[in-house]
Amino acid sequence: MGLRQDIFRDTVSDLHIRELITVKRGTTVRKTAALMRRKHLGCAIIVDDQHKPIGKFTERRLMRLLLDPASTLDDPVEKHSYTDASCVTLDTPVAEMARVMQAKQLRFMCVTDASGTAVGLTGQKGLMEYIAEHFPRQIKAQRMKPFLHMDHREGA
Amino acid sequence: MTLRPQRQAVTDPMGDFVDPLSNYDPPKYGDELEKSLDQDVASKAMMSTPYKTVDVSVTIHEAITMMVALDIACLLVTENDRLVGVFSERDVLNKCAERFEQIKDHPISLVMTHEPLIIYDTESAAKAINLMAIAGFRHVPILDVDDKVAGIVGPRRFINYLRKFITLE
Repeated sequence: MGLRQDIFRDTVSDLHIRELITVKRGTTVRKTAALMRRKHLGCAIIVDDQHKPIGKFTERRLMRLLLDPASTLDDPVEKHSYTDASCVTLDTPVAEMARVMQAKQLRFMCVTDASGTAVGLTGQKGLMEYIAEHFPRQIKAQRMKPFLHMDHREGA
Repeated sequence: MTLRPQRQAVTDPMGDFVDPLSNYDPPKYGDELEKSLDQDVASKAMMSTPYKTVDVSVTIHEAITMMVALDIACLLVTENDRLVGVFSERDVLNKCAERFEQIKDHPISLVMTHEPLIIYDTESAAKAINLMAIAGFRHVPILDVDDKVAGIVGPRRFINYLRKFITLE
């Protein structure tokens, strides 16, 4: 059984699901960005009263806002959000999630349960962590710093 | 001065030569993806080009404008052709958003991530994933043997790489 087969067999529930940041309509971009900074996340999900995802605000949207003279950080977050929260359910195969992410050039996916309620966040990092966990012999054994040049010369 | 002792050939009790690599066990892989992660160099496997470099004197406003126009998440910052930092979407969120009007004309060196972890263009895809997944750096610059910028790998390129191995037959 190889890694490729695992990716087809395993589902999103086998990935590392991160706690998501949810905000309601009307929350300011400033407050949303502060939450993203505090939680070290590049994405916040906009939810309705039933906690169903209705939009997504990302770092990329923040960059566009900063360059737009007609926008400010005090604008409501939904004004600068994607209207598609890019959801995936817990039983979706990992391979299918990777396919959707590549096709739509997505960085984050909102994880929902069977009722459509937002329960977590995953994405590119979740996939990379999955690969690292399933192939630790090579990936986790790597040195963090490059060692192309030796600190001290050895030998003659 | 003591002389270094001469190396002795490996011999069996009968004095015959024994190949020291005779018990070498080559790595076994479950499939092509595992083999590629271990053996393919990241710069080729993950398509480390194109990439965008900017001089360290570029202003924060110019850098963000460039990232938005090119639809990229990270710039490699150089000084005299040497990599000195990276500037990414996360730097915009953490260091620029709240005080953008005050700092937008300052040089990018004020807010970039200094001395990023790098890999060399001969290192494996597994090494790149190690830095991205374990160390938590979303973008990893790739340098050549002369320490010049040769590319960058990031999560989007990782997904494109992964998809090559998991396309449904």
